[in-house]
Amino acid sequence: MNPNELGRRPLLALSLITLLLVAPHFVRLDLRISLAFIAVILLRLASLYLPRLHPGRWLLLGITLAGAALIFTLYPLLIGLPAKVALLALMLGLKLMECRRRRDLYVVVFLGYFTLSTHFLFEQGMLLVAYAFVLVIGLSGLLIEASRATSRPGWPLHSLRLAAGLTAQSLPIMLVLFFLFPRIEGPLWNLGVDNSTGKTGLSDSITLGSISQLIRSRAVAFRVDFDQAIPPPRLRYWRGPVLWHTDGRRWSRGRLVETGPVTFRSDADPVGYQVTLEPSPNDWLYALDLPETLPAGATLSADYQISAKNVRNRRYRYAASSRLDYHTGALSERQRRLGLQLPDTVTSRMRALVAGWRAGTDSDRQLVSRALQFFRSEPFYYTLNPPLLETNPVDQFLFDSRRGFCEHYATSFTLLMRLAGIPARVVTGYQGGQRNPLGNYLIVRQSDAHAWSEVWLAGSGWTRIDPTAAVAPERIERSFEFDLDENADPGVPVIFASADSDLLRSVMKQLRLGLDAANASWHRWILGYSRQQQQSLLQLLGFGSLSEFKLALAMVLTTAALLPLLLLLLRRRERIRPDPVQGDYVKFCRRLARRGLVRQPHEGPRDFARRVIRQRPDLQRQVSAIVNLYIALRYGPSDDPQQRRRLHRLVRGFRA
Amino acid sequence: MKQLLDQVVMEAGKIIVGKEHTLRLALTCLLANGHLLIEDLPGVGKTTLAHTLARLLGLQYQRIQFTSDLLPADIIGVSVYHRGEESFQFHPGPVFTQLLLADEINRATPKAQSALLEAMEERQVTIDGSTRSLPLPFFVIATQNPAHQIGTFPLPESQLDRFLMRLHIGYPDARAERVLLNGEDRRSLLEQLDPCLNLEQLRALQQQVARVHVSDALLDYIQALLKFSRHSPRFNHGLSPRAGLALINSARAWALQAGHSQVLPEDVQTVLSATVAHRLHSDSDTGVREGAGLAQFLLESVPLP
Repeated sequence: MNPNELGRRPLLALSLITLLLVAPHFVRLDLRISLAFIAVILLRLASLYLPRLHPGRWLLLGITLAGAALIFTLYPLLIGLPAKVALLALMLGLKLMECRRRRDLYVVVFLGYFTLSTHFLFEQGMLLVAYAFVLVIGLSGLLIEASRATSRPGWPLHSLRLAAGLTAQSLPIMLVLFFLFPRIEGPLWNLGVDNSTGKTGLSDSITLGSISQLIRSRAVAFRVDFDQAIPPPRLRYWRGPVLWHTDGRRWSRGRLVETGPVTFRSDADPVGYQVTLEPSPNDWLYALDLPETLPAGATLSADYQISAKNVRNRRYRYAASSRLDYHTGALSERQRRLGLQLPDTVTSRMRALVAGWRAGTDSDRQLVSRALQFFRSEPFYYTLNPPLLETNPVDQFLFDSRRGFCEHYATSFTLLMRLAGIPARVVTGYQGGQRNPLGNYLIVRQSDAHAWSEVWLAGSGWTRIDPTAAVAPERIERSFEFDLDENADPGVPVIFASADSDLLRSVMKQLRLGLDAANASWHRWILGYSRQQQQSLLQLLGFGSLSEFKLALAMVLTTAALLPLLLLLLRRRERIRPDPVQGDYVKFCRRLARRGLVRQPHEGPRDFARRVIRQRPDLQRQVSAIVNLYIALRYGPSDDPQQRRRLHRLVRGFRA
Repeated sequence: MKQLLDQVVMEAGKIIVGKEHTLRLALTCLLANGHLLIEDLPGVGKTTLAHTLARLLGLQYQRIQFTSDLLPADIIGVSVYHRGEESFQFHPGPVFTQLLLADEINRATPKAQSALLEAMEERQVTIDGSTRSLPLPFFVIATQNPAHQIGTFPLPESQLDRFLMRLHIGYPDARAERVLLNGEDRRSLLEQLDPCLNLEQLRALQQQVARVHVSDALLDYIQALLKFSRHSPRFNHGLSPRAGLALINSARAWALQAGHSQVLPEDVQTVLSATVAHRLHSDSDTGVREGAGLAQFLLESVPLP
C-alpha cells in the first residue's frame, strides 16, 4: 500500500475528532445544519466499513451543492457569524468524504484548529477552554501519528503523549502573550457577532408584562463583590433606569435635562463593591440606591442613574460605592412638573380613591401609608401570569383584576401618588440577589428584575416606596426563587418556596453555586483582564513607560534573540560534557587556533601536535609536554590527580 | 618487541619496495589474529607479499590457486580408500597449514569459496562426520582481483566480513619501481629470506596486543564512529558490532607495532580504512573502490569526543 494512502484507523479518528470539533456549535446552528453535519459524519463512518456506501464523485458534488443550498436558504447572504460557521462546519464534514491521502488529513487537521478557534467568537467560558485543550492535543496527536513512516498497532499513546507535551510547552508562550501582548479595547470578535439574539436585560421603558417575561430567565445579570458585609435583602435595590413619563400603558424615561453636580446628604457609611456586568445591550450601569462614587468614565444623571460609554455587549467590570440611607434635598421645578405628569387614562374611580385618602390625612407621608395599607388590605395577589389587561390597564388592575406583578404595583402606585399631588416616579432595576457562600459574592439574575416607586416627600426628599413589598413581602425579604412551572397558570398567586428540604436539590444548588463561583473568577481574572490591568502589571514589571507598539516590538525582538539561544542550548545538550582534562585540552587548542593552528574536529592529539610542531618548531617543547601529558591522562591507563593539575598549570602557562 | 617487528618490516621492505605502510598494516592484521584480504590488479605483488610474510614469520605455508573448477575437496582434503588396509584414509588438503595463501579467491565458485571461509571462521573443518582442528596459528591471506574483472565471483558481504582487513597495494612510486626493475629477481630474493620470528614470539606478541590499554575516551570515539555509520544517510547500512571489535583489535595491534602502550584515536584512524572499507556500502553503489572514500568520509565526519 502506498504509505501516503490513509488507512481506516486515521480516518476513523479524524471523523470522530471532527464531530467533537463542531459539536459545541450545534446549539448555535440551525437544527437542520447540525443534522446534516451529523449525517455526513455518519455516512463517512459507515463507508469506512462498507466501502460501497462511499458516494462517487458526482454524488458527492450533488451533496455539496445541496448543503450549500441549505445554508443559503437558512442564512441568505451569509449574514452573521452563525452562517459562516455553518458553512465551515458542513464543508469540513464534506472534506472528510474525499480524504484519501495524507495530505488531505493535514488539510482537515489544520481546518480543525481553525474551527476550534471559532468557538471563542461565541463563548469564552472555562469549560470551553478545557475542551479546546483536549481537542488540540487530539488533533496534534493525530497529526504526529499520521506523519509516522509506518503506523503502529494499538493505541497511539506515544503520539498523544508527545502532543500533550508540545501543548504543555506552548503554555508559557500563551501566558506571556496573554499578559503582555497589547490588548485591544473591547472584544475584537464582537465585529459581526449577532448581538440581538439571546440577550436579555432591562429596557429603558416598561409596558405591563415586560418584566414578567424577563423574570423567567435564570441568566445572570451581574455579580457583585462587596468590600464589606453584604447588606440585607431589603436594602439591595440595584438602581437602573428611572421612568418619568407615562401614557397610561407604557412608562418611559422622559426628558430630564438637568446637568451639574448631583448631590445628596447622608450620614450612613459608604458601601463599596465591584460589579461584573454580563453583556447587555444597554449603556447604563447598576448601583445600589444611591450611588456615590462612580466608575471612571461614567456619569450620574439628576435622577441617580449611571450611564457609561462602551459598555454594551461586553462583560464589564466596575467599582462603585453607595450610601444606603440618604436625603436628596430640594426638588427642582422641572422634576416637580415631570413627577406630576398624568396620562389621559385617569378615571373617576381612581380620582375618588385618592380623594378619599386625602380627606382623612393631613400629610403626604400619611397618605403614602394609606395607599400602602390599601394594597395590603384589599385582595391583591402577586402573580407571574396576570390576566390580560386591555383598554385601561391601571384602572382595570386597581379595581377589577387585582392580580399583578411588581411592575403593576409600582406603576399604579406611582400614578395614584401623582393624582394625590405627590411627585412620583418609577425606578426599574434588580432587587435582592443570591449570595454565593463559595466566594462570598452576590449573584443577581434576570429573575431578580424589579420595579418600584419613588415619591418626593418634604422631610426626606426622594423616598423609595416598594408597593410590591406590601403585597408580597417574601419577594423582598428572600431571594426570589420559585418553580416557574408550578406558577404557570394565569392569575395563580405565586407560592414562594420554603427552605430547600430536598437533599438532592440542595446538592444540585451547591454544585451550581460552585460552578458559578469558578466561572465568576474566570470572568474576573481571565476574561476581565483589561487594558488598565495590563498597564498596572506592566508598571509592576517596570515596563510602564513602553508604548504598545514598543511593547510588541520588544516581544518580537526578544523572541528573535531567544530562538538562536534555544538552538544553541539544544545543540549543546547533545555534546558530551568535557571532563577537566578535556577542558584543558580544548583551551589549549583554542589558544593555538588563535594563532591560526586550528585543530580539525577529527584530528587526534598526536597528529595535531606533529602538525603544530612542523609549523611552529619554537613551540616544540611546550606542545609535546602538554600533548604527551594529555594523551597519558585521557587515553592512558592511569588517572593521576597530580598529573591533571600539572596539565592544568601547563595549559594556563601556555602562550602561543 | 618493537625492534623485532621493525626488523620484520625492514626485511620485507627489501622484497616489497616502497610499501612500508601496507606491510605494517598486513603485519598488524596478523598480530590481531585476523585474516587478510589483498585486493588489487594482477602483477602488483599480492602473492609476493603473502609469501614474504609467511617466510618472515617462520610459518608453515601452503598456497591454493583458486580457479572456477576448484572443488571443496581440493581445499580441505579427501578420504581415499586404501585397498591394503581396507579402510578410508584422510588425505589432508592444503588448508591444514599455518598460513594459507588463497590466490585469486574470487575466481572460484561460491561453493569452493564457502568451504574456505567456513574453515576461516571456525578454525576447524568437518569431513565425513569427524571434526579436525586446523593448526595454530591459522592465517588466511587471500588475494582477489577487482570485482569488475571478467570471470570473477564476488565474495558476498557476509564473507567479506570475515576478513579483518582488506588492503590495496597499488602501483609502486617511480623510485621504488626503479629499484624493482633494476634489482634481482624477487623469487630468488625470497629464497634467501630468513625468518625473523618464531612461533613463541608470535604468540607472545598476539597476547601483548590484548594488553594494550583502551580508555573510555577511545571507546567513546569508536562508538561515535559506529553510531555515525548507522545514522548517516550516506551509508546503505551501518557497521556491525563485529566491525567495532575488528576496529579495536586492529587499532590495538597497530599501537603495539608502533610501540605505544595505549591506543590513540590516530591508531584507530590509521587502520580505519583497511578495517571498515570492505564493510561499507553507499546507497548508490558505484562499485570500485568506493569503500575507501566512504571510510575517509566517516573519518572526517566524526569529531573526537
